[in-house]
Amino acid sequence: MPLHNNALLDVAEEIERIVGERWVITQRDFIESYLKDETPEPIRPKPADNLILVKPSSTSEVSLILKIANEMKIPVFPVGGRTGLVGGSIPTKPGIILSLERMNKIEVDRENLMAVAEAGATLGDLIKAAEDAGLFFPPHPGDEGAQIGGLIATNAGGARAIKYGVIRNYVRGLEVVLPTGDILSLGGKLLKNNTGYDLMQIIIGSEGTLCVITKAVIRLFPKSKYMVTLIIPFNSRSDAMRTVPQILRSGVIPLAIEYVQLKEIMKAAEHLNDNWPVQKGFAQLIIILDGVSQEEVLLACEELSKICESNNAIDIMIAEAPEEQNRILRIRSNIYTALKPDMIDILDVTVPPNSLEKLMDEVDAIAAKYGVYLPTYGHAGDGNLHVHIMKEGMKDMDMADAIKNEIYSAAVKLGGVITGEHGIGKLRFKNLSLVLSEKHMEIMRGIKRVFDPNNILNPREILF
Amino acid sequence: MNIIVLMKQVPEIEKVRFDYEKGRLDRSSAGAVTNPFDLNALEAAVQIKERAGGSVTAISMGPMQAIEMLRDALARGADKAILLSDERFAGADTLATAYTLATAIKKLGAFDLVICGEKTVDGDTAQVGPEVAEFLGIPHAAYVEEIREINAKWIVVKARMEQSDYILKLSLPALITVTKDINVPRLPTLRDKLKAMRAPITIWTYDDLSQVADQKYFGFEGSPTRVIKVFTPVTGGRRGQMISGSPEEIAAKIVHILRENKILG
Repeated sequence: MPLHNNALLDVAEEIERIVGERWVITQRDFIESYLKDETPEPIRPKPADNLILVKPSSTSEVSLILKIANEMKIPVFPVGGRTGLVGGSIPTKPGIILSLERMNKIEVDRENLMAVAEAGATLGDLIKAAEDAGLFFPPHPGDEGAQIGGLIATNAGGARAIKYGVIRNYVRGLEVVLPTGDILSLGGKLLKNNTGYDLMQIIIGSEGTLCVITKAVIRLFPKSKYMVTLIIPFNSRSDAMRTVPQILRSGVIPLAIEYVQLKEIMKAAEHLNDNWPVQKGFAQLIIILDGVSQEEVLLACEELSKICESNNAIDIMIAEAPEEQNRILRIRSNIYTALKPDMIDILDVTVPPNSLEKLMDEVDAIAAKYGVYLPTYGHAGDGNLHVHIMKEGMKDMDMADAIKNEIYSAAVKLGGVITGEHGIGKLRFKNLSLVLSEKHMEIMRGIKRVFDPNNILNPREILF
Repeated sequence: MNIIVLMKQVPEIEKVRFDYEKGRLDRSSAGAVTNPFDLNALEAAVQIKERAGGSVTAISMGPMQAIEMLRDALARGADKAILLSDERFAGADTLATAYTLATAIKKLGAFDLVICGEKTVDGDTAQVGPEVAEFLGIPHAAYVEEIREINAKWIVVKARMEQSDYILKLSLPALITVTKDINVPRLPTLRDKLKAMRAPITIWTYDDLSQVADQKYFGFEGSPTRVIKVFTPVTGGRRGQMISGSPEEIAAKIVHILRENKILG
């Protein structure tokens, strides 16, 4: 039954008594920016009409809000920095948008190398807090405006995942609020924990459908004393791609190995009014290496250079100054934003790392078959490929859909999955059956019912 | 063409903290990097060398850790690097620094062009380059954005000063200071980087320069500048506040706030 606006306004009054009048926003104009995320416009889900925005300041306030919503069966959409790419946080039903942005405290425990962060703190805040404490948060899942709650709810990936893994590998503890209002504390500042079913791992990547994450214990690492970024241009993609598994086998473990093509990375630089520092070759690998000393890292670079040269690398350029390295990462992180205005969809198919080149060949064949431009780049060391479905040459959305399905099928055939980091959100349901069996779905629905029997949290038909 | 590039190692300016009690930068709070404008100076020199031949010599004055920066300069295309390092050079203001650098340049012998960054990001004075030119008795142009022409006799540059562009022709030898707009410094190749790690860096101390200079112009003794007090105005940051009431009441409150903060008279 659709939620009537008056009923929602009654609830708003009740919630105002919990969080204060100022933190319940009912006027649509002020909610506007909470109705979308970074999903390309042509496929972005439409938000519902009747929505209120609530900004609690504490876990106990979140608990009281969820309890009311659960009793009245009102949908609740937890949102973070709204940087997702699959419409995951878009409130598609009338209800409550729950933003934890006011809950943004971070405490760093240097002794245990852990940070305790509230869900509304941003990735940028966490990176800075770690750095201020002389520590390091290695992964870099793109936009630094993303919030901790969102990063965990989507098990974000991004660059720099080779050495220490994706967000899941960093989360050691969670505080969450269930739809009943119960507050659950899972894990802690622990590196080992075998006490019962690991509910925390089910919650990581659950996309706000099981509970609301309010706080997290996040593992940090010692700050690398020395870090470099290499840019290695190649004349052909196969030269570049052949290099990647050889590097992974060499014993040198980089933080990141990114594959880009000159055309797209130049476009990203231009978009930022900057210049890409290495304008050679067709394909390039960007490799980030860290270590405890310059000698150690340069020795590793020397090892990598032999592999790259044996695969016809044109050159190996090195950036040492933090400013130069940040610039490279910034340009790399902006390929998506540079392409976005001309884009229909961004895919994040993932295959076993040694099948990545085959997947790229398949994508080329699909592009040729449909006569369209499908720019690709990816986290080469993780087998994670971003394929962009562009407006150029696209007759209609059915054609875009057909191309997407073919790419998905190609990835699955190579032993891969349809999404390696962006998640299912509200866009990938139709294709889930390509990877997940009916039995798998049944268990997922069962889990959803145990956590959220009234289906109020980020409700999606397929999960209930 | 013999080109000299003057360089300085500075603290990472985005990270460095200011010690309010002592009134100076807490250099231990950040790593050391090459002054960004000096990378543009080096790139300009290497580009000229690539066109006209010759050699590029990087000179820096500073503690021994600046060797690391000079090795990077070698990787980026300098042929030779000299570090002026001695406790007796320490405490130098811009004048004593310029004097020391000019002395080293004189000791090197014949040269055609000296290139510096427009300023360093820690001191921000932009004085050292022009002062070096004065000590050497050669013409100079500051804030050069473009080198239009260079031959054995002269150089034509476009320099930006305030709102105006100046096209200047200088007879060589000359000194120019360059802005960030002049070029995009290239990244060194790994091969050059590794080679530079093993390259020798010439170190000149007080004794190497004292034969060709007047000792009393070095370091603290040679610095007429006395810093009496340094302070950074503490900024308050944004102070948002919610104003409620009828439109008339809100307008009155806003006017009151603006008057209180002396924004309205």
